[in-house]
Amino acid sequence: MAGPKTPAQAPSAVESLWTSYTENTPSRLKLIDSFLVFIMLSGIMQFLYCILVTNYPFNAFLSGFGSTVGQFVLTASLRSQVNPQNKEQFKEVSPERAFADFALGSIVLHFFVFNFLG
Amino acid sequence: MRLLASLAAAILALVAAAGAASSTGSSVLVVLEPELDKRKFSTFFGGLEKRGYELTFRAPRDATPLVIEDDVPKFSNVIVFAPSTKSFAPDLLPQSLVNLLSHNVNAIFTLSTAQTPLTSLASEFSLIIPPPHTPLISHFPKRSLPPTTIPITPPTSHSILTSNLPPILFKGIPHALGTNPFLVPILKAPEESFATDSDSDSGADALVDAADKGGEGLWAGSSMGVVTGFQAHGGARALWVGGVDVFSDEFAKTEVSKGVKSGNAVFCQDIAKWAFQESLVLRIDSTTHNHVNVTHDADNVPTQYTTNDMITYTTYISKWDPESRRWTPYSGINDLQLEFTMLDPHIRTALPAVRGTPGKYEVTFRAPDRHGVFKFVVDYKRKGWTHLHSAITVPVVPPRHDGYPRFLSAAWPYYAGAISTSVGFVLFSALWLAGDAVSEKARGKKKLE
Repeated sequence: MAGPKTPAQAPSAVESLWTSYTENTPSRLKLIDSFLVFIMLSGIMQFLYCILVTNYPFNAFLSGFGSTVGQFVLTASLRSQVNPQNKEQFKEVSPERAFADFALGSIVLHFFVFNFLG
Repeated sequence: MRLLASLAAAILALVAAAGAASSTGSSVLVVLEPELDKRKFSTFFGGLEKRGYELTFRAPRDATPLVIEDDVPKFSNVIVFAPSTKSFAPDLLPQSLVNLLSHNVNAIFTLSTAQTPLTSLASEFSLIIPPPHTPLISHFPKRSLPPTTIPITPPTSHSILTSNLPPILFKGIPHALGTNPFLVPILKAPEESFATDSDSDSGADALVDAADKGGEGLWAGSSMGVVTGFQAHGGARALWVGGVDVFSDEFAKTEVSKGVKSGNAVFCQDIAKWAFQESLVLRIDSTTHNHVNVTHDADNVPTQYTTNDMITYTTYISKWDPESRRWTPYSGINDLQLEFTMLDPHIRTALPAVRGTPGKYEVTFRAPDRHGVFKFVVDYKRKGWTHLHSAITVPVVPPRHDGYPRFLSAAWPYYAGAISTSVGFVLFSALWLAGDAVSEKARGKKKLE
């Protein structure tokens, strides 16, 4: 039946999620998120290389993959501690304190990683 | 000037004649039994003396000259022309003669149809002697000589004999060759010959017995040997000849066919040359080993190698040249092998001769991936030639802790991942703190306003 044009399709869930994310997230958190994506991609690539090509030398795989996983965990904790929406949960942790913890943890992680990398 | 030159030539000639063509020595003890006359073998003995040997004659029962005294041999070579002697002097008993061979003294033994101590000695050399009084007989080729005197055509090419010799007259016994690998067959009995217990055909019981058994048990055919050599461990050579008449003047002068003299004279000199270590004598002059691309220096040999090292092994081999009477470098061996052994040969490779340097054989190979104590082994045993053996022990150690490659090419994705994570962290921190500074400024401004 002829009728008026159907209204524009309601935005899909992914589109609305993406729009909401870009509009509502502070730029500091977006910086953290981009770092997280980069780390995740690096980890995935190393894992695929290990499975598909060779797992020799295994210690290098563990250290490289562990580096990405550890860094991801530290950055994710930084994000949750710095997020203004979580202020209630982290009363005794200021953003500066969170960043200092993150930095110290990362340096210790990188020290172990380069030692085990061979 | 002329006088000086002629004097020098005379001295040189004297020096040259002083030594024989043998690589081990020129003194020969000829044990000649009294029944044989020395003059009947003048061709053979004369030929030896012409080549520089000093012959000393002695009867088997004589007490002097001793062939070995206080475990030191007094002669370099021994010829035993005592085919029917039943008792020898103590220093010529079979056990003593075998002891001589381990002292690098060469020997020529002759046998006959009689059973003597030498017959039992022959079995020590893995030669099986037929029953006593069964000489070799052949009715072919048709000839005016008795059936016990047999012309044998030597092989056309043999490393010991000169090629294309006329047939050789032989009279004596055959022997069967055992399985000892050190036996060197030189002359085999003709195919139509057989050993039987009669000088003529009539009354040959052995033939009749064998015919009854369908041919079994008859000593016949070309698998029997007539002249056989034996190369002993220390380099000494023994020669076993089935009859002493091969060396006689009479056989040397007899014609085997119209106008063709027998080849006995040349044949006897050839086998004596081999037996007295003139021909087919090799020697390893030196061996060295080193890492590849490092010049071999006798004092700079490495005390150990690491696994997977490239190693070069060089050996220098000489052959005795009887004409010039010295050791000359020899590159004619084309099947020399090197083994790099630890209980089993881990590497077995050919050692080819190097072009341009006579006598030098060299190969480069990679040490195996196993650590342990290895040996470079050159073990060359060929029929008729001197045995070459050389073994050098060398340790092969695993790489030191800093001998491994520092960075593995298979691990670069992990190196890249770890480094990119660290670089990313540094960049992120820089951006984060810059963001902090900006917001500080903004807040400061706001406060002021």
